[in-house]
Amino acid sequence: MKNRVSTALVVAGLLAAALGSAVPLLAHHEILAKFDDTKPSTITGVVSDVDWKNPHVHVFVNVKKGNDAENWAVELESILDLTRNGWSEETVHPGDQVTVNGILARNGSRQLWSKSFKLTKTGKEVFTVAEAKAPAVLSKRPTPRWPDNVPRLGAPSASAQGYWAYPSATALVEDGVKVEMSKHGLLKNIADAPKVAPMQPWALALYRERQRRFLADDPTFINCKPPGGPRQLQLSEGVQFVEDRERQRIFVLLGGGNTNYRIVYLDGRGHQGQVGGDDDNPLYYGRSVGKWEGDTLVTDTRGFNEDFWFTNGGLPHTDQLTLIERFTRPDLDTLNYEVSVDDPGAYTRTWKASWTMHWVADQELPRQLCQDNRP
Amino acid sequence: MRATIIIFTLLVASFASTAPATAQEGYPLKGSWVGTWGPSKLHDNDLLVVMNWDGKAVSGQVNPGTDDAKMKTATLNPEGWLVHMEFDGKDKAGKAVSYVLDGKIDGLAFRNRTISGTWKGGGESGQFKLQRQ
Repeated sequence: MKNRVSTALVVAGLLAAALGSAVPLLAHHEILAKFDDTKPSTITGVVSDVDWKNPHVHVFVNVKKGNDAENWAVELESILDLTRNGWSEETVHPGDQVTVNGILARNGSRQLWSKSFKLTKTGKEVFTVAEAKAPAVLSKRPTPRWPDNVPRLGAPSASAQGYWAYPSATALVEDGVKVEMSKHGLLKNIADAPKVAPMQPWALALYRERQRRFLADDPTFINCKPPGGPRQLQLSEGVQFVEDRERQRIFVLLGGGNTNYRIVYLDGRGHQGQVGGDDDNPLYYGRSVGKWEGDTLVTDTRGFNEDFWFTNGGLPHTDQLTLIERFTRPDLDTLNYEVSVDDPGAYTRTWKASWTMHWVADQELPRQLCQDNRP
Repeated sequence: MRATIIIFTLLVASFASTAPATAQEGYPLKGSWVGTWGPSKLHDNDLLVVMNWDGKAVSGQVNPGTDDAKMKTATLNPEGWLVHMEFDGKDKAGKAVSYVLDGKIDGLAFRNRTISGTWKGGGESGQFKLQRQ
């Protein structure tokens, strides 16, 4: 009971500190937004509680200091990542002696991002996470098709399931440009910012500011805002296409986040009045219409709002954004994606980016509640 | 101990109520801004500015309604996020007055970011502060 009370106080204290300093609690985020990789630290102590919740799991550890104990929050990967690697809520228990090596929080609070988490009694390292890799493809399988020969973008048959993941690029960068970034779009060298896309001066300055703040203001992670635009196709947990042929529309479901989705209409309608009446409210996923050009689905999406980041890494956009996207499935396991970005409010010209995604067969799209109802 | 937990909970709640709102992530000047620009003998204390961005220029209105004034010039210098605004208004007697406002954006990442600086016009000058709504 004493440990639980102590943990509750520390959680409340950390929350108050985070809110008070206007540094938001982050979801499945760029780690450097919250933690400083120039400040390594090691703690040894006794587990007081395990908080197995999204977006990131926390283990609370009492560390002896003189005659007292300080309660530390050790942050780990997401439940999805940990579960995939064989770990569970039962991997450690209150009372276990542990040693954790990691990096400290930027705001000076008693939080540590774990790089190595060991059980003292056995010396066993736990909560390790291997980099997810796309399943190997032994031979190319033909593109699955509907009876009218149109390619299927979703499951290859009515009885199968699967989704698209493992994008070959995880941040939006103009085709032909080579810059080093983290998987969340954080530039290794901020001097590369002007190369990423042809931004107007204000957009470049804002992009630099977001990068300088280690992407800490990303509304997708702070407020669980939908990752509209091409970002939906660059998140780590993939997307699923559900084709409603009868009603001529495709649902593009988001993996690993809240259960929101984009709709692509193929019935010839325009960009307005999609829901009813003269509905033209700006939307997170915009208003998307599409048609097949041979084996390629071409979509035209506009009507975006400005309340989200449309890329990992924080490239700005305005409500003048129009996206032309091309989806091609050359074989069962490959999706070629190309996007043309036209936003005269933020960019000096139209520009393009492209990448591929990999088919994950016979599995359901990973789901999680973004913040698990955390405050 | 229970009382301590309750106090901490209330503390958290009080911080949460002052936490910044979600950011408006597009052009930083776009939106409705409300604040003050007094004291002055020329005009009332309240100031409302509505600005839009078409990709090339900022347009806007000041105090929409009976005291409506169209923005003549509004610029944003991203080097330091400096804001410059010019418009022709009227003083309390109905006489035309040209105003110039120069300020700086603070809290760029937040929806309720602010512009604060100085105004001058009609032989007067003072401070102003606007907050995005």
